Amino acid sequence: MAALAARSVMAVRTSVNRPVAFVRKIPWTAASSEVREHFAQFGHIRRCFIPFDKETGFHKGFGWVQFSTEEELQNALQQENHFIDGVKLYVQAQRPKVLHGDQTSDGEKDF
Amino acid sequence: MAALLRPARWLLRAGFAPRLPLSLRLFAGGPGRPLAVPLSVQALPPARLYAIAAQNKKDIQEEPTSSLRRTANQFDWALMRLDNSVRRTGRIPKTLLQKVFDNTCHSGIPGGNQALLLLRSCGSLLPELKLTERTEFAHRIWDKLQELGTVYDVSHYNALLKVYLQNEYKFSPTDFLAKMEEANIQPNRVTYQRLIAAYCNVGDIEGASKILGFMKTKDLPVTETVFSALITGHARAGDMENAENILTVMKEAGIEPGPDTYLALLNAYAEKGDIDHVKQTLEKVEKSELYLMDRDLLQLIFSFSKAGYPQYASEILEKITYERRYIPDAMNLILLLVTEKLEDTALQILLACPVSKEDGLSDFGSFFLQHCVTMNTPAEKLLDYCRKLKETQMHSSPLQFTLQCALLQNKADLAKALMKAMKEEGFPVRTHYFWPLLVEHQKKKNVQGIIDVLKGMQELGVDPDQETYVNYVFPSFESVKSVHTVLQENGCLPKSNTFSQAEFRSEAVNGNLDYILSFCKYATLCFVNLWVYFQSFAALCRSMNIDLWSKITELLYKDGRYCQEPPGPTEAVGYFLYNLIDSMSDSEVQAKEERLRQYFHQLKEMNVKIPENIYRGIRNLLDSYHVPELIKDVYVLVDKEKIDSRKTVQFASSDLESTLERLKAENQPIGDILKQLILALCSEENMQKALEVKAKYESDMVVGGYAALINLCCRHDNAEEALNLKQEFDRLYSSAVLDTGKYVGLVKVLGKHGKLQDAINILKEMKEKDVLIKDATVLSFFHILNGAALRGEIETVKQLYEAIVTLGLTKPSTNLSSPLVTVYLEKDDLPAALEAAIDCYEKYKILPRIHDVLCKLVEKGETDLIQKAMDFVSHKQGEMMMLYDLFFAFLQTGNYKEAKKIIETPGIRARPARLKWFCDRCITNNQVETLEKLVELTQKLFECDRDEMYYNLLKLYKINGDWQRADAVWNKMQEENVIPREKTLRLLAEILRNSNQEVPFDVPELWYEDEKDSQNSSSSTSPVESDLQKDVLKACRGKNAYNIFLKAQEQNIVFNSKTYDLLIKLLLSMSTHIKGFTLNDAANSLLIITQVRRDYLKDALTTLKTALDLKQIPSRLAVTRLIQAFASNGDVEGIEEIQKMVNGLEDAIGLSNMVFINNIALAQIRNNNIDVAIENLENMLTSENQTVSPQYFGLAYLFRKVIEEQLEPAVEKISIMAERLANQFAVYKPVTDLFLQFVEAGKVDDARALLQVMVYSWSSGAPILQSLLGLIPELAEKEEVYSSLMKSYVLDKDVTSAKALYEQLTAKNVKLNDLLLKRYAFLLKNAGEPVPFLEPPESFEFYAKQLKESKENSL
Repeated sequence: MAALAARSVMAVRTSVNRPVAFVRKIPWTAASSEVREHFAQFGHIRRCFIPFDKETGFHKGFGWVQFSTEEELQNALQQENHFIDGVKLYVQAQRPKVLHGDQTSDGEKDF
Repeated sequence: MAALLRPARWLLRAGFAPRLPLSLRLFAGGPGRPLAVPLSVQALPPARLYAIAAQNKKDIQEEPTSSLRRTANQFDWALMRLDNSVRRTGRIPKTLLQKVFDNTCHSGIPGGNQALLLLRSCGSLLPELKLTERTEFAHRIWDKLQELGTVYDVSHYNALLKVYLQNEYKFSPTDFLAKMEEANIQPNRVTYQRLIAAYCNVGDIEGASKILGFMKTKDLPVTETVFSALITGHARAGDMENAENILTVMKEAGIEPGPDTYLALLNAYAEKGDIDHVKQTLEKVEKSELYLMDRDLLQLIFSFSKAGYPQYASEILEKITYERRYIPDAMNLILLLVTEKLEDTALQILLACPVSKEDGLSDFGSFFLQHCVTMNTPAEKLLDYCRKLKETQMHSSPLQFTLQCALLQNKADLAKALMKAMKEEGFPVRTHYFWPLLVEHQKKKNVQGIIDVLKGMQELGVDPDQETYVNYVFPSFESVKSVHTVLQENGCLPKSNTFSQAEFRSEAVNGNLDYILSFCKYATLCFVNLWVYFQSFAALCRSMNIDLWSKITELLYKDGRYCQEPPGPTEAVGYFLYNLIDSMSDSEVQAKEERLRQYFHQLKEMNVKIPENIYRGIRNLLDSYHVPELIKDVYVLVDKEKIDSRKTVQFASSDLESTLERLKAENQPIGDILKQLILALCSEENMQKALEVKAKYESDMVVGGYAALINLCCRHDNAEEALNLKQEFDRLYSSAVLDTGKYVGLVKVLGKHGKLQDAINILKEMKEKDVLIKDATVLSFFHILNGAALRGEIETVKQLYEAIVTLGLTKPSTNLSSPLVTVYLEKDDLPAALEAAIDCYEKYKILPRIHDVLCKLVEKGETDLIQKAMDFVSHKQGEMMMLYDLFFAFLQTGNYKEAKKIIETPGIRARPARLKWFCDRCITNNQVETLEKLVELTQKLFECDRDEMYYNLLKLYKINGDWQRADAVWNKMQEENVIPREKTLRLLAEILRNSNQEVPFDVPELWYEDEKDSQNSSSSTSPVESDLQKDVLKACRGKNAYNIFLKAQEQNIVFNSKTYDLLIKLLLSMSTHIKGFTLNDAANSLLIITQVRRDYLKDALTTLKTALDLKQIPSRLAVTRLIQAFASNGDVEGIEEIQKMVNGLEDAIGLSNMVFINNIALAQIRNNNIDVAIENLENMLTSENQTVSPQYFGLAYLFRKVIEEQLEPAVEKISIMAERLANQFAVYKPVTDLFLQFVEAGKVDDARALLQVMVYSWSSGAPILQSLLGLIPELAEKEEVYSSLMKSYVLDKDVTSAKALYEQLTAKNVKLNDLLLKRYAFLLKNAGEPVPFLEPPESFEFYAKQLKESKENSL
């Protein structure tokens, strides 16, 4: 029984409580160090992750930047435009995944 | 229906023919002239176009009704995709067309309309393809669709002709007609027109005339199109005069030359380079009020360029009016020019394009650069184009874009040239630019290629970083070591230690602990980047057990080399711990809380210390993970000695306290220092002291001090004190606001201690004071509620939830609401749990934990409630949802038969999201069997993505490193004819490779990889042997292996075991049996084992039968395995069948009857027939005619299985059975076996409980106790055993034994308790014997009570 409850806890994914920015439309010319460098102006970057596709050697155009504090994240979000290598980035706060806790949330209706 | 058809239909009804939208014209090859077709201009009269549209409609209607919608949808989709593409870019990319084509092929029998759509796209809409390639594409589509059963009509033939014309394909018109005749299709006017155009394109006026004559005999009208074609024909035959004359002929025939006719003439002039006539004609057209579109002019430019007169392009460009739809047309032409190697003209047109350059944001020209790269335009030219695009501000980063194209297309030389240029122009050249190149070589394991790239990097002054090595270089080599050697030989080993770090990381990620440990011990490297180093370590550690964590930590701590730097070992360990925790997710940390605690304590015992600042980092992490309970465990590790020296601001509490006292004595203000002291004490987690200080200096307390104290009390679970402080705080600073975390802490601790109203008040205050509610806060709410639910506090959960939601602190979510249900599930109150879930749905439209509720209901067999739940779900969320809910519940609870029935419900179809949800759940919880069943049961499910299902299964196998099952999946997929996606194959290959298995599918070199080691291992084998062995290996891919095997047998050659294994695998996989092929005993046994392993139990049973029929004696192992496999499937009949088969052979095989008894019982338990199993066992043990005597009746296997698989109800019932057998029937073997199994399984508590029950419940159990003592000498140390023994003797009135015991005990100097002595004395007195000691004076009860109390106290 406890296991069931633990599972439901597990379902609440981790990123909810960390100040993480989700960055899209990252130009291919920029990798993690460039993105990190850009966002460093807003605060201390704890982690910057740009997933690369091992099949192509290119990244997928999006990534996550984790700040030390919520304030730093807000700083970054408040800046209107973000450019790297002349390309405009799309920055948003990482959406919490709280709702994935139960199956009923996939919202399918039938018949 | 897509945009294409709608206007067409509308036009049809409206009955008039204005200019059609561009895309429509392009598609139909209609009134407009497709660009790529100089002089093959054919106007398809508008009516014809509508006919096509109408025909499309007809085609659809003719489809059988069942597939009608599907086909129509498919067509819609295809049309929409192609249409969009043309509208945006003036073309269809090859990949898109291919995709639509493939899709169409998979959709069953493609309808005629789809075929038409595809065919028509193969002409000028593919400017990126060479003309020949386009035609090939068209032919491919043609043949393929025909093969698939598409029936072609004349429209298809005409479309094909059109494509031929657009692509200037040389073909014989008469052959074409013959082909049509063969297919019994009548050519129509359009056919003839196009055939005329075909003749004219090659200047064959005679051929054209023949067709024309034919048309006349058939009374077909000659249209403008035909005249235009004739102009082209005469011009190409070199007869310009007659070409010009056509205009007059037309007028005589009563046909006014239109734009198409003039365009034909213009193109004819352009091909001759006759700019003057072109200009004259253009003027004439203008005057005649005819109108040439921009795309007509663009085509003129193409004609000039293609004929070798690019110099006139600019003059035509001047005349372009840049109408709205110009850009797609221009793009199309630019691409075509590039395809035709006329890049310079293309650039000219590109630069003339009217694009807005102001914002400098929207780049134009990428398509051009990309196509140049594809067409292998020389690097110098491209660099020049880039420069020009940049200068004209058309493109902001042409070099980078071109480089990207070059990399995507793996053009290494071009990429290098571009990067060189970038470097020269001051742009950065970054390491990851080289990764795509490396990836390409990596795919082919091309070591030389990789070296070349590395050399290229060197030339450009780019240093590969760790990722480059780990992800892109190492995988191509056999071992990291060999990379080192090869790089050294080629002189591209970097001087820095990046390589070593990468090497280390790679090994760490692969979990090569030996390497890591030896590396740690012997490496003399100075790690520049400690961080990375610890990160890899942490990653490694997550997967290991606590002991290894400790081992590594100790190594870090003790090894001097990690602390050369001033910070010393505490720093290193601290970072390591930090990274370890940081790398885990919060759920992971929560799940492993106890393990982490153990680990911290272990570290403490090892005297490991960490610096204070890192402690604070860890503390913050733990806080954010909602496991503040661990903080105090980490705190004990803090290196207190260093606090002072390292952080000057941070004073030790003792110093602060003395300062405080001094200030107080001097009557100076102490507020600030008091706060510091409180904070210091809080961070030391010294609640007692902090409260004392607070009490002492109460009047000087400030806000910060209170806040910290309240939080400290919450952390230490001291609700009383926390509440007092809070109230005091409110009195003093009523308007002050605490931070969110502290409020949440209060709610948590108050709720936990039943101060519900106070907790709710805090929540209200949060609302009133508008405290910031973060996502983390919501999560905290969930944890608070869930904690209460787990403690079973219904009221707490309800009221707190109600308060949170009604106050509007957060919206109700599925997750937040789940504790409402959990609390009842915890209490096993299913009706209430279901009611709570339903209630939630009524109130908030969410249905929390319905799956768990259903599982419970199914387990308990609560039919009525299940019905109720299902009615509800069905009513609210649809029948399909209900069926899935039920299906998952049955699966989860192991009721596979029921699950099967559900999923076979007619009309049910695959819901990928639901299936994915359950797969993920199984994977997270490592439920192999459940997932396997899911995959099995969904085999026939409509629209079920089988590959995806197997992919999930493989994911789980990968986690468990179970390559055997993964391999079985591979076979099952073949059986089921599932075409695996690449990712599935990759995953499978990875699992097999990780377990050092061959990968049995077409990843070329891998099949033979073991060839090397087979040669190595058999260095003594003769060449013939190894040749034959190789032959077998090779033939295993074909079907010849068995013959070679026979040949080898003739020559008495023995292969290595791997070869046999492979051979057997092959034979197993072949459906047809080889005639007269029989295996010997051992082989059959092996075969049975293999079949069992693959879960082909029926086949295994057949094999066993065959073997037995052949009078073979299968090995015990094989039979046992098979029996066990049946047992684990719950297949009682299977086991009984084997029992019948081997009847009489048990001794020969060496099979104990207990194997059957154990496994039948297990199978019954698996089927949830626990009671039946137990009854059978009991009957066997207690009946008169026993087949096995009780002392040999070993049930250890059954017990072990039941305990291992945590079949709790069964364990419980078995325990009871064992006790009963011992108590009532004096059969002690089962209870002993069970006891030993408990001990073995580490279930010491269960074992102890069992033992105690036995010891205390046997009223006359002296012999048992004796035998038990003999069995377990350690028990002899236990006082209570002797007490019990004595009690037994007393009850039995066995004076002799009691005496012996007393003597034995006194001889051993065992201290005897008064109760024992009293009993002994009682026995002796009753027997009339003297008591050799002073009888304890009090009553039995008194001593019993005394003994009980002393026992409790000692606990």
